[in-house]
Amino acid sequence: MATTHTLLSPAELNYLHTSLSLRPPIRSDGRLPTQFRPLTAETGILQGTNGSACVTFSDGAEAIVGVKAEIEKTPDAQQSGDADEKKARGDWVEISVEIPSQRDDDAATVFLGEMLREALLGDGEFAKKLWINRRFHWRLHIDILLLSPPLSYPLPLLSLTTHLALLATRLPKLKSEGDEDPMFDDDWESSVFVYPREGASEGTRPPITLLVVTVGDNVIFDPTKEELAVAETALAVSVAEVRRERPRGGMEVDSKGRELKLLSIRTIDPPSRLTPPGVPNGTATTATEGKPAPSNLSSETPVAGVWKAPLGGTKFTVVDGIIQAVLEKGGVADEVLDGLDGVELA
Amino acid sequence: MADRRRINGPGGTTLPPLYDDDPLPLPTRLRLPNAVRSVYLKTGVTPSASGSAYLEVESRNGAPTTGMKLSCTVHGPRSLPRSAPFSPHMVLTTHVKYAPFATKSRRGYLRDASERDLSTHLETALRGVLIADRWPKSGVDVVVTIIEGEEARQFAVDQGSEEWDMMNVLSACITVAAAAVADAGIDCVDTVSGGVAALVSLSDDGKSEIVLDPVATEHEEILAACCVAYLPNRDEITNLWLKGEVSSTDPGLYRNLIARAVYASKGTSQAIVGSLNEAVTGV
Repeated sequence: MATTHTLLSPAELNYLHTSLSLRPPIRSDGRLPTQFRPLTAETGILQGTNGSACVTFSDGAEAIVGVKAEIEKTPDAQQSGDADEKKARGDWVEISVEIPSQRDDDAATVFLGEMLREALLGDGEFAKKLWINRRFHWRLHIDILLLSPPLSYPLPLLSLTTHLALLATRLPKLKSEGDEDPMFDDDWESSVFVYPREGASEGTRPPITLLVVTVGDNVIFDPTKEELAVAETALAVSVAEVRRERPRGGMEVDSKGRELKLLSIRTIDPPSRLTPPGVPNGTATTATEGKPAPSNLSSETPVAGVWKAPLGGTKFTVVDGIIQAVLEKGGVADEVLDGLDGVELA
Repeated sequence: MADRRRINGPGGTTLPPLYDDDPLPLPTRLRLPNAVRSVYLKTGVTPSASGSAYLEVESRNGAPTTGMKLSCTVHGPRSLPRSAPFSPHMVLTTHVKYAPFATKSRRGYLRDASERDLSTHLETALRGVLIADRWPKSGVDVVVTIIEGEEARQFAVDQGSEEWDMMNVLSACITVAAAAVADAGIDCVDTVSGGVAALVSLSDDGKSEIVLDPVATEHEEILAACCVAYLPNRDEITNLWLKGEVSSTDPGLYRNLIARAVYASKGTSQAIVGSLNEAVTGV
């Protein structure tokens, strides 16, 4: 788990848990269950990269992503087969995640990187964009840097920043043809976006990964560190928007109809399992009076108002409810993508 | 003077060996879509560890390689070192490591990204099962070694198959670790078991179907796969890992995929129960 241990007492944990299990839940920062923290986003901040972005959350968490591309020879040039068939490999994309105060080979950091990677390469379309010809391809380095100390689980922040950086990524325009050594237009103004902009764009857009937790029966998006500390289930769900070519150009009737595609789901170990349990009133006194300690079984039964770390797994219906909430038309994913669409791409 | 302390290469030029193309035909799936491969599971194989288990998966029909083999050892619960901070729970650490000779391409002794990723998944799967607050101030190490991976020769270089293989490996890791934890006598709410289901495209037409316990080399293309760690008695999922392209036109598809993976894990849980029963009655 990327977050450090929360310093909350069992009583505080129980208070948080109770208020979040109400219907509707009451969050400590007053947000709605589906509301994201406000964020500031900027693209094109790094001159030396092909694409870059910086996102700052209102709580001070800040991340920078730089995308650099280089040409590489495809080692096993396909001799046979027609030139139209683009064979691409997932390892043309390299993702490195750096989180302050954590080693870069830490299991949690690797887990974050792999999660972002599998969402990006999920449908196999992205690697095909890096194909130049049968002998050469682009190698893309995506370097993700968290600038602030990890205040909450940084996954949504890193994912949104990567999404923006990829939208802003441009590659030089190819001038050569066929299987020649590639030659590029040296005018940066004529470079092409990896993800084509509005208009004749078809295909998948870069993914976003949302962190969703459940407390009681409530599904809560974008949890803070404290909310994560009492969560019973935490899922990271990656979705991407699919744009289809519309037969008639200017007749956008249902502009709200965004088609979302599920790319990956991962369970995240909620830190609530590591929280200290509360001690019910009765047991503390019996111990001091020297009576026989209560049996193990009685300590297993939950007492109302006393915090106990959740045990066991998640019911299938709960998992299903989370995925439904993410994929819902006009839901959170739509809202986040709408917000990110407003960011000007430099 | 010749350097006799090191093993030096030959003095002259050499030619790397060239092998003929693999004459084996592409393997195809002979099992039914809802059939899982049988497994051999035995607990208590490592006397020095407090709990251990060995798992072997049935090999594919006519395959030159044998199936996957894993061994798991559980050390602990034992007291944490004095320097460690106080913990009200048992501290669980998981290590998943391929043996250097487990796959066609040699694995180094240091754990690489995919192995670290697997160990995080395994930790998530096990942490929900252990009743950790019965062992304050103690630690448990779960070490899974993949002695032999399943990877057919002609596809060893193909990166695509290896990525899907990870799901099978994780599912086997969860199963073998659950058996070893039970062998160590650590209190659990249930025995967890792993199961995999995949959405594969059928070669003849554009349709797709869901198969249990997929082997990547047996299918033309795997569209999506799902691995679950499932508690059969509580009917709960402790770890869910789904990736790939799940079509958005059919919202029931991912639901189906998860349900099939759960069904596959029920099959493996019977193997755990069988081997634990055998261990109890055999003593």
